[in-house]
Amino acid sequence: MKKRKRFTGKILMALLIAFFYLPILYMIIFSFNDGKSLTTFEGFSLRWYKHMLESQDIMDALYTTFSVALLATTVSTVVGTIAAIGLSKSRKIVRDVMTQVNNLPMMNPEIVTAIGFMLLFMTFKVDKGYVTMLLAHIAFCIPYVMLSVMPKIRSLDPNLADAAMDLGATPWRALTKVIVPQITPGIISGALIAFTMSVDDFIISYFVTGGGVKNLSIIVYTMSKRVNPSINAVSTLVVVIITIVLVIINVAPMLAAKRKKKDVIGKRRTFIPITAGICVLALIVCMFNLRGGGQDRPFEGQTLYIYNWGEYTGENIIADFEEETGASVVMDNFDSNEQMYIKVAIQEVYDLLVPSDYMIQRLIEEDLLQKLDRSKLDCMDKLSDAVKGLPYDPGNEYSVPYFWGTVGIVYDKTKVDIEDLERDGYNIFLNEKYKGDIYLYDSERDSFMMALKAQGYSMNTENEQEIQEAYEWLVQCVETMDTEIVTDEIIDNMAQGRKALGLIYSGDATYVMAENENMGFFMPESGTNLWSDAMVIPKNAQNPDLAHAFINYASDYAGAYDNSSYVGYTSANEEVMNDLAGEGGDFEGINAYIPRTGNPNDEVFVYNEDTKKIISELWSRVKIAASNAG
Amino acid sequence: MKRFSQLALPYIVWAAMMLVLPMALIAVYSFMEQGNSILSFSFTLDHYVKFFTDKDFLLILWRSLLIAVKTTVICLLLGYPVAYFIARSREKVQNILILCITIPMWINMLVRTYAWIGLLSEGGLIQQFLDLIGLGNTELLYTEGAVLLGMVYNFLPFMILQIQTSLSKMDHSLLEASADLGAGPVQTFWRVTFPLSIPGVINGITLVFLPAVSSFFIPKLLGGGQYFLIGNLIENQFITVGEWNFGSAISMIMAVVMMLLMMAVRKVEIRNQGGKEE
Repeated sequence: MKKRKRFTGKILMALLIAFFYLPILYMIIFSFNDGKSLTTFEGFSLRWYKHMLESQDIMDALYTTFSVALLATTVSTVVGTIAAIGLSKSRKIVRDVMTQVNNLPMMNPEIVTAIGFMLLFMTFKVDKGYVTMLLAHIAFCIPYVMLSVMPKIRSLDPNLADAAMDLGATPWRALTKVIVPQITPGIISGALIAFTMSVDDFIISYFVTGGGVKNLSIIVYTMSKRVNPSINAVSTLVVVIITIVLVIINVAPMLAAKRKKKDVIGKRRTFIPITAGICVLALIVCMFNLRGGGQDRPFEGQTLYIYNWGEYTGENIIADFEEETGASVVMDNFDSNEQMYIKVAIQEVYDLLVPSDYMIQRLIEEDLLQKLDRSKLDCMDKLSDAVKGLPYDPGNEYSVPYFWGTVGIVYDKTKVDIEDLERDGYNIFLNEKYKGDIYLYDSERDSFMMALKAQGYSMNTENEQEIQEAYEWLVQCVETMDTEIVTDEIIDNMAQGRKALGLIYSGDATYVMAENENMGFFMPESGTNLWSDAMVIPKNAQNPDLAHAFINYASDYAGAYDNSSYVGYTSANEEVMNDLAGEGGDFEGINAYIPRTGNPNDEVFVYNEDTKKIISELWSRVKIAASNAG
Repeated sequence: MKRFSQLALPYIVWAAMMLVLPMALIAVYSFMEQGNSILSFSFTLDHYVKFFTDKDFLLILWRSLLIAVKTTVICLLLGYPVAYFIARSREKVQNILILCITIPMWINMLVRTYAWIGLLSEGGLIQQFLDLIGLGNTELLYTEGAVLLGMVYNFLPFMILQIQTSLSKMDHSLLEASADLGAGPVQTFWRVTFPLSIPGVINGITLVFLPAVSSFFIPKLLGGGQYFLIGNLIENQFITVGEWNFGSAISMIMAVVMMLLMMAVRKVEIRNQGGKEE
């Protein structure tokens, strides 16, 4: 009977450990995958490690993660220990109040703490970045340190320090020679908890960071929409580092104890492995932070802060630009115009933004952009006429186009009847034949564009009745068609052929079609959104000269080619567009790459504050309806 | 000796700035008319009214609480036997097992969650396994099940470690006494072991329930874009919609709901212990 119990226990334990390690193992295996897929292993390769080492973003994030963790751990351990000793001698009421205060970050949902920090920094106009992240980490680590030090202090003889001082020790010596050694185990475990909390933190860092400072979690969160196996490589590296450190911490004392069994067991023993572990980490951090110097280049030592869409630049353009100008580029990514707008509106400093048409109009109207200096630009002649002089900025006084395209339907030719598409247009999204086989795109303006166009209205309508009808169309779609509302996951999922239909940007469709020949791109006759994203310089930019240089660089053939061939979006540079779509080009024969011109139903988005508010509100209702329906 | 108490002063100032003030600010913003400048404060209850008069928002709150309860129950049912098993092992084995459970916790939560995307997606390992045993073509990723799995995966270690700590602190002579007095193993477990482990269970519940309610990246990564929990709603208000005041109000509501729940749980604990002492 008892034996059998142990046996079931063992099985349960084994299953659980398998459960814990399965994803980690999977991740390690796929970090060596030659292909891009997360599901099929295509052969052994180190390409993602190479990619990781070359990616400035990932290296910076590793550096940020570990340097913040080390600093936050050190500071919070020292401060936390001192505060705990002090509090133990304070009056009871002070102690009780402080315990409650310390409970705030521990007993509150993390997102609430995060928002508290964010509001604090905003209210006092502290620029969000590395320092704010570090301050927030210190603030939430200290309570954990105190929590693990306090019990050790309580178990001390309260007269110990007095005894030491009676014997002639100064208070400082009494503290460092008598009290601290007694509570060392508590301090060490406090430091370990602080370190783990800091390395692992996502939510708080996400809300208090800015200026392109990202830790590993933020990178994973923002990259995860487009499959990027470099994440696996980074994670594997982190796993290896952490396992080594943990093994050192856990095994070294055992070995040391074994070897010197007869030695007096000093408290210092545990310090050796910890110090060793921290040294290893520090070394790694230093390695990541080694940067090469440069010679005589026009923008030597300057920094360009770009705020761009995620995965919206070529593989080499940033490094090439840095190489040529001597400047360093810090790129922050957004995944919606609205997200970008908020940061710009609260005066976060960037030198260059890449928003979409209607958002540029809004930024101009709200006086957040500066006029471009034409004498510094040499790129306007290289751009397609179709993307110049659009209604949002008729004379291109503020903006230089970057990418452009349309919105349409990506479909699996093997699953979707082309006649259904031609007959229904966007209404195919209400066709029950394709129930459960549909992706919607999480963009308020494009979803409403589809719903309005499906009923023959203008996508710029201000008529509330028409907007209401579009809203009902969307609600019907999410409630009856079992849709999934996705963002960039649609790219990989369609490339893998997971669903039959999806609303998609033409540039993403180009990528999908280049990866999977079964996929097609269809633009309904009832019209589409002729969008463009363009480079603009905000009013509060600190280095407009460098921003102009980047605009030229990204519009020139080499930069534009790198961008467009890697991302798949249509280049504003006419020569690049023609070369890529032409014979032997990367996107030869892919209809999604060349945007449609000449259809009278196609429109360019116009910004209207009132309609935008209504649509924004209604779209979150659609999403909530979808969530509650599922 | 008393002079040591001054050591706490700097921290008291710091804590007031960095821990108390942020919470106060959330409260202030939540009662403030739309606008992000604290200097032009004008009081309103609109944001709270907006939340409580809309059944969609209430439904999201309800669903978030529900999935957190499910996560907590699963973690308890899985975690207790495992913690029990660990606590009854020899000390050396115990240390190794605990190390096994802690190592994954050291790896970034997002990274671990991200790994599940590959495992759960169509054509992934788990789907292939299901195909093999004839359960093919069930959608796994972007379902509530996936979110639940992600939460259990991430938060189960907290539960195990808390229960294990309280079980291994238990005095073994109590068990012998119980056996000597004629109780069977089952009776001993329910009358002696389990009640003594309740503090651990309560701590475990707190450590699982709290992050589960407010998590927003697990639903986003594993539940897909249309899976909204209260954390996503808050994130959305701050990051894409820009309605900070409404976002602050939701945060306040969540903080208060959690505080009430935690107080209720603690009360259960106190009553339980009070009862035993008599």
